[in-house]
Amino acid sequence: MSKYRIKFSKTGMGKFISHLDLLRAFNRTVTRAELPVRYTQGFNPHQIVTFALPLSVGVESETEFVDIDFEDGTSFDKILNGLNENFPEDLYAISVSEPVFKAKDIFSAEYSVSIDADFGRSEKKVSDFFAQNEYIVLKKSKKGEKEVNLMDFIYEADVLKENDNRADIRLVLAAGGEKNIKPDLVLGSLESYLTPIKFDLTHIRRTNIFCKIQEKVEIFC
Amino acid sequence: MRGKYDEKLEKILCEVQKPARYTGNELNSVHKEKTDGMVSFAFAFPDLYEIGMSHLGMKILYHMLNERSDTVCERVFAPWSDMEQLMQDNDIPLFSLESKTSVREFDIVGFTLQYEMSYSNVVNMLALSRIPLRSRERGDSDPFVCVGGPCAYNCEPLADIIDFAVLGEGEEVNGELIDAYKEWRAEEKPTRESYLERIARIEGVYVPSFYDVEYNADNTVKSITPNRGCAPAKIRKRIIGDLDNVFFPEKLIVPFMDIVHDRIMLEIFRGCIRGCRFCQAGYIYRPVREKSVDRLCEIAANSIAATGYEEMSISSLSTSDYTKLGALVDGLLDITEKKRINLSLPSLRVDNFSMELMEKVQKVKKSGLTFAPEAGTQRLRDVINKNVREEDLVRTAGIAFDGGYNHIKLYFMIGLPTETYDDVAGINDLARKVVDVYYTLPKERRKRGVSITVSTSSFVPKPFTPFQWEPQDRMETLVDKQKFLKEKITTKTISYNWHQSEVSFLEAVFAKGDRRLGEVLISAHEKGCKFDGWNEYFSYEKWMAAFEENNIDPEFYAYRKIPYDEVLPWEHIDVGVTKKFLIKEHERAMEGVTTPSCRENCAGCGAASFGGGVCFE
Ligand code: SF4
Repeated sequence: MSKYRIKFSKTGMGKFISHLDLLRAFNRTVTRAELPVRYTQGFNPHQIVTFALPLSVGVESETEFVDIDFEDGTSFDKILNGLNENFPEDLYAISVSEPVFKAKDIFSAEYSVSIDADFGRSEKKVSDFFAQNEYIVLKKSKKGEKEVNLMDFIYEADVLKENDNRADIRLVLAAGGEKNIKPDLVLGSLESYLTPIKFDLTHIRRTNIFCKIQEKVEIFC
Repeated sequence: MRGKYDEKLEKILCEVQKPARYTGNELNSVHKEKTDGMVSFAFAFPDLYEIGMSHLGMKILYHMLNERSDTVCERVFAPWSDMEQLMQDNDIPLFSLESKTSVREFDIVGFTLQYEMSYSNVVNMLALSRIPLRSRERGDSDPFVCVGGPCAYNCEPLADIIDFAVLGEGEEVNGELIDAYKEWRAEEKPTRESYLERIARIEGVYVPSFYDVEYNADNTVKSITPNRGCAPAKIRKRIIGDLDNVFFPEKLIVPFMDIVHDRIMLEIFRGCIRGCRFCQAGYIYRPVREKSVDRLCEIAANSIAATGYEEMSISSLSTSDYTKLGALVDGLLDITEKKRINLSLPSLRVDNFSMELMEKVQKVKKSGLTFAPEAGTQRLRDVINKNVREEDLVRTAGIAFDGGYNHIKLYFMIGLPTETYDDVAGINDLARKVVDVYYTLPKERRKRGVSITVSTSSFVPKPFTPFQWEPQDRMETLVDKQKFLKEKITTKTISYNWHQSEVSFLEAVFAKGDRRLGEVLISAHEKGCKFDGWNEYFSYEKWMAAFEENNIDPEFYAYRKIPYDEVLPWEHIDVGVTKKFLIKEHERAMEGVTTPSCRENCAGCGAASFGGGVCFE
């Protein structure tokens, strides 16, 4: 076995680290820690590092996963301590283990969202938005833009709290290779639904990643 | 003081492009709390984060000041327009990256001046900081504003804007400024003036307001006279004598985002032995001082351990001139190969030895090579003292092509003193000869076809060079020469790029400018000039309007041939190289006579007065 799965968090200012920048930060952390990482063959060897599911810039997370190839027999503790002693602020390794599920089986992700806004000024309610069966949006993908029903991508939405100046929501959204949606698109749509109010500040945090194995939903690990 | 803008700032960071420019949470960034009795220094780079963070000098001084327990040094960069707009909409003044403190709250704000076209950003950043733009308008609640870096040697265009300038290498003098600040603050009645009087006595510190400048009727400078006892008649630059024992940070900041030079930069020496006559760096950094192989290997190993960078590059004006280059490269490869770190050696001279080194170092990537003959004919290369011979270039190109390279970039200048259209045509001739070398190779060796890129920049006369008295070519002439060259280049194998001549004109104006240009800078700022180094921002029309508004003719600065006996706006600045020497060099240039390098034969430039370096080897 040489593939190790690292669960880590990316919080605080760390949410502004883009996906590519995060990869570089991992490469450099592994180098500083002098961990026995494996490199690809060929002209331009690089460390074998794969993230399970990209995270949008601006979103914090307490459950990110990255797979890194190390020499056989490297202990979990050595990797965990090496990373934590060398990480930049805002990145933290929670655990190291053998991979259980495959990244391609990822099916959904859970987010905890809180929004500060003058909700009192809107006639409509946050919960009304999520109660709709259909809400058409333009969704961008590599292939171009397409109209889709946003509600097809929202698997769960619990409005935990809703008052005149704050709303707390738990969302489970489609994620992974086959079908996915970014939380910004959901919140942007919510904001236009609630026009004229504008969101002051939104906090989005990814709290879980799920995969689907033979119709059974499991927490990714 | 931390966190004052956090909420608003967080919101705008979610909206801005590339928020990592503003977060300040990089590895090895220093976050200190400022307590009573400490001195705070904002190190400002008047350009984007990704440009400023590529600059080694900034990192050295940042970490050096933060080594002191009595000092907090934080970084500030110019916000890009989207961020500037959001900051204004949300009433957020310019802030430091580390603690997000308003720049105006710092004790000292130091701008590094790397190029003239960043001056409008200096003014804009002061405005965004809500610091009064002119030094005389600042009061007790404002910081001191200073400048350093290569353009500080003639910072006259900023003389009325800044409080003081630091001339030369900053490792020692910046600490002295902090010491003086603490002593000053303990004075019974500290005034802004009493601090400036204190530091005007420190070698390398220039306080422009302590000098009166008088002008002649023809607008030339009549005299520059100190107006108080503490101000020396000549301000002498500072240098570090022993580069092996000077502070060098072990833990350099590692940015998250991709910056221009995202690698470890290893400074192997300061100065240059060559004396190309157009090159300001070749004179202001004299004399050449090297770091030892042992110290460099130590720095390299420590830097890799503390940063995890995958790439390291040597940084110098002319890498081939390092006396023990072979030993250095072997020592570095010992360290880098084990750790899979790419080593690159820029600024190599064209010769066999350097090709061998390149072979050793760049085992894989064989794409482009860069050479800078600077002028198209031997006659003109002799005038500018650039000792590249056509034979050398042709021979090395041959070795390079044979070794698998197929792309060569050639850098030239147009508008050099004494240049004729024959010299311009010579650029094409030289490029053609390089192409021909490729076709002399046996067919089976030329696999991918050859491509040559010719780039021309426009000559800008710079202070403290033998060409400081020379006029710049008029913009029309430069454009005409570019067009002429473009027409000469008829083969598709050679592609040609050139610089915008308006930018080069303004560079000349501000490089050789005097104090009267300060008001032009402020007018230009009011018209919205900033990021002049960026095409999308540069507006020649706005600049011309700013000159007109202040009744100043920019051509006076750029296009006039200056007689030797005229008082130069930078006459009171002493970089070690004497005026007598520069005159001699200018005369030799006009005769087409070259001057040997410091190591072949000391030309007696005056820099030996610093008592070290190559002058005493
Ligand atoms: S004094 Fe001589 S050796 Fe020293 S920098 Fe000048 S020319 Fe070079």
